[in-house]
Amino acid sequence: MHLRRNLIKSVLFIAFLAAVLTLGYQNLEYNWQWYRLKAYFFSGQGMDIVPGLLMQGLAVTLKISGIGLVLSLFLGGVSAVARLSPFPVLRILAWLYVETIRNTPLLIQIFLVYFVISPVLDISAFWSAVWALSLFEGAYASEIIRSGILGIPKGQVEAALGLGLSRPVIYYKVIIPQMLRTTLPMLAGQSVSLIKDSALVSTISIYDLTMQAQKIVSETFLTFEIWFAVALCYLIITASLSFFIRKLEIRMKFIH
Amino acid sequence: MKRLTAIFVVLMLAAGTAFAGQTGAMLSKESIVEKIQKQGVLRVGMSTFVPWAMKDKNGELIGFEIDVAKKLAKDMGVKIEFVPTAWSGIIPALLTGKFDVIIGGMGITPERNLKVNFTMPYEFSGMSMVAHKKKADGFSGVEDFNKKEVTIAVRMGTTAEQAARKFMPKAQFKLFENESQALQELNLGRVHAVVSSAPMPAFHALKFPDKLFVPIKENFTKEPIGFALRKGDYDALNFFNNWILINHASGFLKERQTYWFETKEWERLVQ
Amino acid sequence: MVALALVAAAISFFLSRMGSVLAYEWDWSAIPRYFMFRDGETGRLVPNILLKGFFTTIKLSIWATVLAFVLGTLSGIMGARGDGFQRFVSRTYVETVRNVPSLVLLIIFYYFVSSQFLDILGLDEWLRRQSPGVREFTGFILADPGSINAFASAVAALALYEGAYISEIVRGGILGLPRGQWEAAYSIGLSGPKTFRLVILPQAFRQVAFPLAGQFISTIKDSAIVSVISIQELTFQGMELMSATFLTFEVWITVTLLYFALTFPLSRAISLLEKRSAPRE
Repeated sequence: MHLRRNLIKSVLFIAFLAAVLTLGYQNLEYNWQWYRLKAYFFSGQGMDIVPGLLMQGLAVTLKISGIGLVLSLFLGGVSAVARLSPFPVLRILAWLYVETIRNTPLLIQIFLVYFVISPVLDISAFWSAVWALSLFEGAYASEIIRSGILGIPKGQVEAALGLGLSRPVIYYKVIIPQMLRTTLPMLAGQSVSLIKDSALVSTISIYDLTMQAQKIVSETFLTFEIWFAVALCYLIITASLSFFIRKLEIRMKFIH
Repeated sequence: MKRLTAIFVVLMLAAGTAFAGQTGAMLSKESIVEKIQKQGVLRVGMSTFVPWAMKDKNGELIGFEIDVAKKLAKDMGVKIEFVPTAWSGIIPALLTGKFDVIIGGMGITPERNLKVNFTMPYEFSGMSMVAHKKKADGFSGVEDFNKKEVTIAVRMGTTAEQAARKFMPKAQFKLFENESQALQELNLGRVHAVVSSAPMPAFHALKFPDKLFVPIKENFTKEPIGFALRKGDYDALNFFNNWILINHASGFLKERQTYWFETKEWERLVQ
Repeated sequence: MVALALVAAAISFFLSRMGSVLAYEWDWSAIPRYFMFRDGETGRLVPNILLKGFFTTIKLSIWATVLAFVLGTLSGIMGARGDGFQRFVSRTYVETVRNVPSLVLLIIFYYFVSSQFLDILGLDEWLRRQSPGVREFTGFILADPGSINAFASAVAALALYEGAYISEIVRGGILGLPRGQWEAAYSIGLSGPKTFRLVILPQAFRQVAFPLAGQFISTIKDSAIVSVISIQELTFQGMELMSATFLTFEVWITVTLLYFALTFPLSRAISLLEKRSAPRE
């Protein structure tokens, strides 16, 4: 009974949202041209399909996010270990890194890397975008990983030391597997953030999904069609990533 | 919990049914000329383009467009409000009623005209180019830049972008939200040239004579610049057209144009 | 020691390359003027665009957080305690917002939603009709009549965005409380809703106070993106200034420092308070 009532209410809610949207949709003095959208996804006939501008942008977004994810996990791991290390210099450096990054907007960091740092070190636009993103997400990953390591009971490390294991082996065999299990949900959330935040690299003329969208909008003024389509693209990527990670989580719990 | 849901649904319903999209209808029913007078304020959409519109040392807006819009408001007997808007979103912002008219150095193009109405031109502008001395060494014509290995920075969504794509279809393009970012790229030597409406490229080259130069002396396009307003408002179109006619005849536009585009007196206001 | 030497070497290398590659003419002397200047006629100090932008960022963040708190708490309670339908509404909201880039969300909200709903409220017209005193006051706590609509939609969009995160924090706080609390309240005869209001909610809020404060800092930083819809906050003013003066590096560095000055003391204070309150648990 309860279930059915909930179902009915949910359906009503969706219908209501849809009604508001359609009302708004029709009342806006705007010439909707959804049919022009297809060419920006795919063009060509039959077997040889050429990816459209939005698809090319999507590929760039995925590439940046993919490399960024690996790099940011690496940076996060290294700085987390550095913050827990016995050397004060390393601790201070890692602390400085995490605090500066976490207290300034990403947009500003991207500009700073691209216009100030990259000309000096001669880094291309693509790699400045990747580095800026990785540095940013790395600082957050660092805090997550650190909390994961701190969450492991001291006794575990002491026991491992007592068994005569060396530090690297302890990290590899004892700390990392346990830490991964507790921090995976948070790291997963961070990777979704990474994909979303990658939209900001459009500001330094990287032709990612958002940039392509802006470009198409500025040329064709298909403002709403393009932005709705792009929002849907992001939603599909991030939602499927979340789904995949949830599956992974469940599997990890089974093994242990 | 019941009450919570009730509040939520009522809020949504109220918002939805009462307001849903009456704007569209409202925007077109009444001429903006009437609306402007009723409210006593003219809202103008613009974006920073040196020297069309920019902020001076005191944070006040100055520039050719600003003078034009101020005079327009004065002649209508209303106050003026500038709405600085990102260029790439300026037409959607006009269409959704964020302001009444765009007076922002907007070139009249067929693509734009399909979405908005333009007045007759009150000014003509042309595209010109500034290049990096080392990167574009020896380049002297459009055809030198029309190569695959040449990169050109432009401001996204401007007629400069269109002109550059038309005249140099083979070149690579870097698009930026603001002109200053494009020029920064040039100063850093990461692009060969920047295309932008005159007289800015020439001014910029004068500022950094040891780094930059103007490869093509004359402008390579001539573009009419008009006010842009929402479609369907013929009263406003008529009013603005005639205002432009009158101010052409009186010499106001010519005089302001000379001040902003041919002298550099205004530079001390900015820096 | 080795690490320190390496860092020093890296920094000096960077600076020397900076000098040679950029050949950039630094001009810091122009910057203070954009914070404040002395009016030639009245002789008073007048805030300039950077300072104005700084205050707009603060106003924007505060209002957005207040609104996001209301929205997030409502949705969080619905997500934790509601029936299937309420949970569904809450999840739909949270998942949609959390899976779409804030930039895209903001653009859709500004052009599509706000022009449908906010403009019709006629906030700007209402404000213009008010006396100068009222206008000045609302200008101080909100925005001038000319930018009130844009400001309101920026606040709403930011609140919508941050609200989804606050919803998750609140939901976690409520669900994280031990079952024993419910049972104890039940055994002393409190009804369900009363238990929730008097026992669960206060505890949950104490649990989530620090994450919520952290979310405020995120809001300050996230507010940078509303520059794309032309709100004249710090980032927007910074870009405008660059367009006019071409002092790219000076402006960016100043803007970065301003954000840092705003968020760093806050985050330090929060983590100090957190540490201090921890042992009492």
